[in-house]
Amino acid sequence: MSCRLFEQSDQDEEPLITDSDLSIKIAADVGGTFTDVVVSLPDGRVLTRKVPSTPPGFEVGVLAAIDEVLAEDDSNRADIATVCHGTTVATNAVLERLGAKTALITTKGFRDVLELRRIRAPQLYDLFFQKPPPIVDRYLRFELGERVSADGEVLAPVIVEELDAIVEKLLEHNVESIAVCFIHSYVAPDHEREVGEHLHRKLPHIPVSLSHEVIMQRREYERTATTAVNAYVRPVMRRYLDQLQSGLQERGIHAPLMIMQSAGGLTPAADAALRPVFALESGPAAGVLAAGNVAKATGCRNIISFDMGGTTAKAAMIENGAIPYSPEYEVGSSLSAGNRLTGGDGELILSPSIDIAEVGAGGGSIACIDAGGGLRVGPRSAGAVPGPACYQRGGTEPTVTDANVVLGYIKPGQLAGGDVVIDEAAARQSIEEIIARPLGMTSLEAALGIHQIANAEMLRALREVSTHRGRDPREFVLVAFGGSGPIHAAQLAEELGTNRVIVPPVPGVFSAVGLLASGLERHDVRSCSLADETLNPIEISSRVDEMRSAMKKQFLLESADDDRLQFEAFADLRFVGEISDIRVRIEDDAINDETMEELRRSYEEEHERMYGHRSESGAPIEITAVRLIGREEREDDLMLKEPETADTTGGSRLATFPRSEGPTEVQVASRAELATETEGPLLVDEYDATIVIPPGWSARLDDASNIIMEKKHGDH
Amino acid sequence: MATIDPITREIIKNALASIADEMAVGLYRTAYSTIVRDVLDFSTSLCNAKGEQIAQGTTIPLHMGSVPYAMETLFAKFGDSIEEGDVFILNDPFDGGMHIPDIFIVKPIFSKGQHIAFAVSTAHHLDLGGRVPGSSACDNKEIFHDGLRIPWLKLYRRGEPDESLFTLLRANIRVPHMTMGDLRAQLSACHTGERGIHQIVERYGGDTFEACSSELLDYTERIVRSEIASWKDGSSTFVDYMDSDGCGGPRVKIQCTVTVEGDELTADFSGSSPQVPGAINSTLSFTASAVAMCVRAVMHSDMPNTAGMFRPIHVVVPAGTVLNGEMPAASSMRGVTGFRTVDTILGALAGIVPDRVLAACEGGNSLVIIGGRRANTRDAYVYYELVSGTWGARPDRDGNDGLCNPANVAANISIEEAECNYPVRIHRYGLVCDSGGAGKFRGGMAVEREWELLEGEAALTIRSDRRDHPPYGLAGGLPGGSSISILKHHDSEEVLPVMVSTEIKKGEILYHRQPGGGGYGDPRDRDDKAVATDVQNERISSEAAEQVYGVSLNEGETDSG
Repeated sequence: MSCRLFEQSDQDEEPLITDSDLSIKIAADVGGTFTDVVVSLPDGRVLTRKVPSTPPGFEVGVLAAIDEVLAEDDSNRADIATVCHGTTVATNAVLERLGAKTALITTKGFRDVLELRRIRAPQLYDLFFQKPPPIVDRYLRFELGERVSADGEVLAPVIVEELDAIVEKLLEHNVESIAVCFIHSYVAPDHEREVGEHLHRKLPHIPVSLSHEVIMQRREYERTATTAVNAYVRPVMRRYLDQLQSGLQERGIHAPLMIMQSAGGLTPAADAALRPVFALESGPAAGVLAAGNVAKATGCRNIISFDMGGTTAKAAMIENGAIPYSPEYEVGSSLSAGNRLTGGDGELILSPSIDIAEVGAGGGSIACIDAGGGLRVGPRSAGAVPGPACYQRGGTEPTVTDANVVLGYIKPGQLAGGDVVIDEAAARQSIEEIIARPLGMTSLEAALGIHQIANAEMLRALREVSTHRGRDPREFVLVAFGGSGPIHAAQLAEELGTNRVIVPPVPGVFSAVGLLASGLERHDVRSCSLADETLNPIEISSRVDEMRSAMKKQFLLESADDDRLQFEAFADLRFVGEISDIRVRIEDDAINDETMEELRRSYEEEHERMYGHRSESGAPIEITAVRLIGREEREDDLMLKEPETADTTGGSRLATFPRSEGPTEVQVASRAELATETEGPLLVDEYDATIVIPPGWSARLDDASNIIMEKKHGDH
Repeated sequence: MATIDPITREIIKNALASIADEMAVGLYRTAYSTIVRDVLDFSTSLCNAKGEQIAQGTTIPLHMGSVPYAMETLFAKFGDSIEEGDVFILNDPFDGGMHIPDIFIVKPIFSKGQHIAFAVSTAHHLDLGGRVPGSSACDNKEIFHDGLRIPWLKLYRRGEPDESLFTLLRANIRVPHMTMGDLRAQLSACHTGERGIHQIVERYGGDTFEACSSELLDYTERIVRSEIASWKDGSSTFVDYMDSDGCGGPRVKIQCTVTVEGDELTADFSGSSPQVPGAINSTLSFTASAVAMCVRAVMHSDMPNTAGMFRPIHVVVPAGTVLNGEMPAASSMRGVTGFRTVDTILGALAGIVPDRVLAACEGGNSLVIIGGRRANTRDAYVYYELVSGTWGARPDRDGNDGLCNPANVAANISIEEAECNYPVRIHRYGLVCDSGGAGKFRGGMAVEREWELLEGEAALTIRSDRRDHPPYGLAGGLPGGSSISILKHHDSEEVLPVMVSTEIKKGEILYHRQPGGGGYGDPRDRDDKAVATDVQNERISSEAAEQVYGVSLNEGETDSG
């Protein structure tokens, strides 16, 4: 599985990676199926590795990949400056229920809040729906006498005798981690602190997660779930990071280990071990960040990132260069649709995360015919095992990948870097028997149908981040990556009315590239209800200042460079009475009356854009949360350049496109050959992905080795 | 008309479902009342030019079947004068509506001057006037107690709002800014639907859209027919009851006979009680909705939620019964009747497809409405709670503990949000030990909640049920626990009737416990380990384990971990 994608071909050119100190950086992105490692070397080369993930001991795969990739190079390991890491360990622990034995202490009367969730089922008409079991068993959820009111007044003090009785139980049950969440603790955290200190004295060896330390936000179920999940994965994350770190040290790598968070940006391993709930979605976040960097480097202000893998496709919108955030998401649910209609089968997490829409359509999605004679694709997936029919690993049902093989998009034969061989006949036979014959179609027509229905499903994700938010996708450029993304991207762009697609270098390990390009980052929030007389500059700036000084202190502890620290403040606004907040940037450092007007104006504009209407004129507004993001700006941007050209396959193969009359002979080119603009149809086979340039599109290479695909005017 | 291939149909079908969901998301995000924005008591759908539903948002299942009836009366009244820019409004149950609180907003969609579709949104409004805050009270005795009747009217004519209608509405409701905010959200959802349909027509052409919207109905019909055809022919009758007629009167009977013949199904409700004096009378459309929902829920196949569903299904509901009330029947609280209708139909279906039916769920959500004026501002408020419940046991697994009734996918109201916005304090929200019906598979545990009023005094309305007739078990499973409501005065406790309108004062505490789900199969057949785990988690007591399940547990045996 060795590959040396980028080699400096000409000493006169700029290095492939430009970074001030020219040190070595390692990025490792661990997904459920594959572990990707990308190493940037001082002389500008980039090495990549894709190996199978090794659950539950994910560090084994990471270390093995690092060993392999470093064996190719004789650089001094002492020159390794950082190891950046995106990991699915925490998410996996939640999904597979492999977390610690966790206890939860709540206010008296509320031990079932975690289990009752938002009470709503995620799908209609399913009498056999099974609610997932709560991550803390009922017998480990304890109620404690204490209560504060909505405005923070103490109604009942902590009853210490009750707490001591709980401590006995915790010992008796050998609890490994403890979560504490009290009603209204986001406004009055003293009781949680008191309990936290008491537990620390009595049970110094057991980690305690206090809800106000995890997230200072209103809504008891969400805060409880967030805290409980944090407690649940904390020992797992700690163990994993300790093992990874000692593994690195055994290899002479003493560089700091930095973890990607769901909201993007890195945090030291020690911090991630305390608040792992903020790192649940680190892989997908890195992909969006990397797409954002491509956008910046190519001068595109507005992009939609499109990441299609084996089981899902993900989309995110970056407008005017700004990464979109969501204040919550669901872990363990089948899909994150970004709204509450389909939620309820996972745990709702109040951790800031990059706002990503996800649909259950990927290369492994299975096609079938339903009772009404309809052709359906997904949401069932063949996964990696048994995999698509063409893998010949026991899968017999036709998948999107099988359709792409029959259509000629994916090259039959040895799959790059793997022991899988793509069998075109098996793909065709599966589609023929299960789809084409019953529908009275040719297998080619059926394959095209599967491809197009998968596209329609993925369009839902793309529309959700664009038209559903009042954005016109025609003003956006699609940045496509993931193993299958570049196959579907151009046709999706056509459906969206977008006429430009960018496929970055190494699209199959692109999330790892995103890790390399990230810096330190922290997010914080204060829930509030600022309306009428409290809706004033002082109330806002006191919260911003408080968060900023705490954050700055933390950054400096992490050896950040004071001069490079940047802070962005935001307010969550709503019309008094509405439920959904819209996040608006607080533009000025000096918050004054003008800022307030500006906030209102931006809010109303955004509201009208998203929902098509404003409220009645003069309707009162309310600030429900003040947020702060701090980051250490990187000195310069990572630039990937000209990939090596040795791996050219050349030649041609038969491929079929919508609206074309049957298969046509299509040229296969290498990325480097696109230095001169070439017209489609055209296929590019790479180590980790295939790029499809349909008829009516052209492709060329930019300075940073991105393939820029453009739809020609007046065609189709 | 153009013919349509299965691939284009699948693509347009998905697009329509996506638009209906987009309408729904926009609606809850911009709504004002807790009942819409938090509880999500609303629905969205799209209809073709004939008014036949072609897509439904992921919203209240029991609303689905109501659209055909509403659209039928709309056509009868305005069929000849539907113009571009019009928006129609309706809530009158005697003109195709469901009950007074549910307002339909319907926007015809035009393309190149031709009428091609409708966008429809239905939302439960906090208040539409009438006798009590929230408009709904079980002891309302005629429709006029329920609130303002709005027969089909044009709220907008050719894009121009009818200001006199808006003025009349505002003058007759208790919390106009809430209702107007929710109406705006409904209108905005319809605009979203319109935009989505326009995009489809732009992309695929008007002919293809038209052909597809008609073919989708046939497609649904084919799936339903093939499903029903796979069931055995025959009849099955089931009877269930509500404890009260809403005014303290006797129990109310609901009877359903389901007959399967070939690929068609008939649900006959003859034998059900005559219409009652209280406000729990249902409408023909709501009863038909319940039938559609139940058939849909026991089907194996997934399918688009279109009007084609109704073609192989026949519903017989004699007029003048509690399931098809006649003027001036009050109906604001007819939700409870709808839930019981669902329980009865599923009970009948258990005789036909026993492996696909669950024991009775909690009987639907309880309503607790507290309405009054704030102490400092004297502003009117209506605090509207749906306490949602728990599921009956299934033939192969336990009922879900604490999950909204499958007929009504509502959410709960956050305690912290409620306490920030209303003069209430919530003392308890949780599950009740020993409340799930015992069985080889256990019914879900009941949900309980407790509120204290923090200022002044307020009108209190409760709609609950299943105290005397608890949720039934199946195949030898025992019924779930009964419901109860207790008002704790300063020096005494008062057990309230299941359906009641009364008062609550500052410092008084209302306790409500919902019913538990019914069990499935003989409790003595329950796996000993499952019993032990339930005891450990205080889902059942060790006494119940011994007496009902026949499992005696020694100390220390319960800790699995």
